[in-house]
Amino acid sequence: MSKLKRTPLYDIHVSAGGTMVDFGGWEMPVQYPTGIVAEHLYTRSDCSLFDVSHMGRILVEGTERLKYLQYVLTSNVEALTLNSAQYCIIPNENGGAVDDAYLYMFSEDKYLLVVNASNKDKDLAHLLPIAEKFDVKLTDISDEYAAIAVQGPLSRNLLEELAGGELTAPKKNACATVSLEGHTARLATTGYTGEPIGYEVYMKNDDAVWLWNRLAGMGAKPAGLGARDTLRLEASMPLYGHEMGTDPSGKEMPIYAVPLAKFAVSFSENKGDFIGKEALSKQFEAYTRIINKDFSDITVLPKRIMPVCLIDRGVIRGGMTVYKDGEEAGWITSGTMIPYFDFEDEFETSKVGKRSIGLAYLSSPIQRGEFVEVDIRGSRLKAVIPQTHMSAKNPPYVHPVVWKEAK
Amino acid sequence: MNFPKELKYSKDHEWVKTEGETAIIGISDFAQDALGDIVFVNLPEAGDEVVAGEVFGDLESVKAVSDMLSPVSGTVAAVNEELADTPEILNNDPYGAWIIKVEGITDIEDLMDADAYAEFCKED
Repeated sequence: MSKLKRTPLYDIHVSAGGTMVDFGGWEMPVQYPTGIVAEHLYTRSDCSLFDVSHMGRILVEGTERLKYLQYVLTSNVEALTLNSAQYCIIPNENGGAVDDAYLYMFSEDKYLLVVNASNKDKDLAHLLPIAEKFDVKLTDISDEYAAIAVQGPLSRNLLEELAGGELTAPKKNACATVSLEGHTARLATTGYTGEPIGYEVYMKNDDAVWLWNRLAGMGAKPAGLGARDTLRLEASMPLYGHEMGTDPSGKEMPIYAVPLAKFAVSFSENKGDFIGKEALSKQFEAYTRIINKDFSDITVLPKRIMPVCLIDRGVIRGGMTVYKDGEEAGWITSGTMIPYFDFEDEFETSKVGKRSIGLAYLSSPIQRGEFVEVDIRGSRLKAVIPQTHMSAKNPPYVHPVVWKEAK
Repeated sequence: MNFPKELKYSKDHEWVKTEGETAIIGISDFAQDALGDIVFVNLPEAGDEVVAGEVFGDLESVKAVSDMLSPVSGTVAAVNEELADTPEILNNDPYGAWIIKVEGITDIEDLMDADAYAEFCKED
């Protein structure tokens, strides 16, 4: 095994008893002694700390930075204003995804592009040759900065206490450069947990060590990659390699197969031409037909990502085949057993339930509310396509939406 | 890590306790720790035959599914029904939370005592 990379927070993870695993060439904590279930629930009830320093961070500078990014990303970068962030996809010519990413604008003269750790080298190999045709400079700053995701209902209070005041504009995808007890931090109201209140904080390596220990001393608890995955799955957020990239049969998945694409792709006139625009336009037309329940021409979008909830007893996992009325209809792309706080109106933690939920890549005509069967090691078990797995519309707490058979 | 002296252990990290003609089977502290949070247990039914060295059920953690291999051959006399709703008892109390009881035993794997098993876990 080649030598694994370590983040500036590595020693903290080890001394906290983290189980360290190889994740995209990085030695990262998959869980701490409390376990994935407890870490998941603590994020939903209080506040968790995630080391996301392994994510690739690319600084984009130069006079043609806007023009360049408009060409290599799916989003309308012109719509991104100072101190805000946007979700975007790095497309290829076929309308498939090289990666998905977050673009931040912390200052007027540059952009920060944050990409998946395991895709960073591939992304740079794709982005750098195109950059030669523009007056633009790409710098990989991944090693200079650490990143901590501070997620959960208490996250704002904790960080505001350190900032001595308001952090950012009170909305999603807002950014700010702030001082946390004298330590400069770039923070954004973004995250990968579905929490309505949560931050991703970028700091110099030493400052990040300070912040982690400071927040842990104030009651935040560390959470590993295991909980990060169950949290994003409960929020139906896609993960590259599962809901994007190639499907289990090896075929490239079109970008519009992911529901988030409708927010990430722009055909604005100001955006102009961009990589994969023609293919994506065709996907968008097919997507519009599918939304209107017209399945006459879905060649470019034969399947799409949908939430799925197992009704029978068992656990769905990525790669399992899904059947609809006896016919193969796609695959589970991600699935596991996920805990939730079982509460009605007032948030409370006394009752914990668990459910096997996930995401699936399914024939486009399949609608929410319909039943499917999942092949779990030879048994076909009943599952449903629910409206959603959870709602983040009533902060500060996430409300699980638990599927119940209609009476 | 705790390995009670009165139990025997298999290479697949099950523990076996023999009471007369019946073998009681569970998973070791090492196994539950390696698996992490156990969230689902797939069990045989009373009356099913199990074969030494072959799969008799599986355990699912958040991360993955793992087969359970029977250390004995015989007939399932009882399964621990509590595991259906509270599989986490395997994490909290691995030696209290038995999984199956097997009777009519016709074969048994080579098992280790607690000291040998502790050594075995160090290498695993």
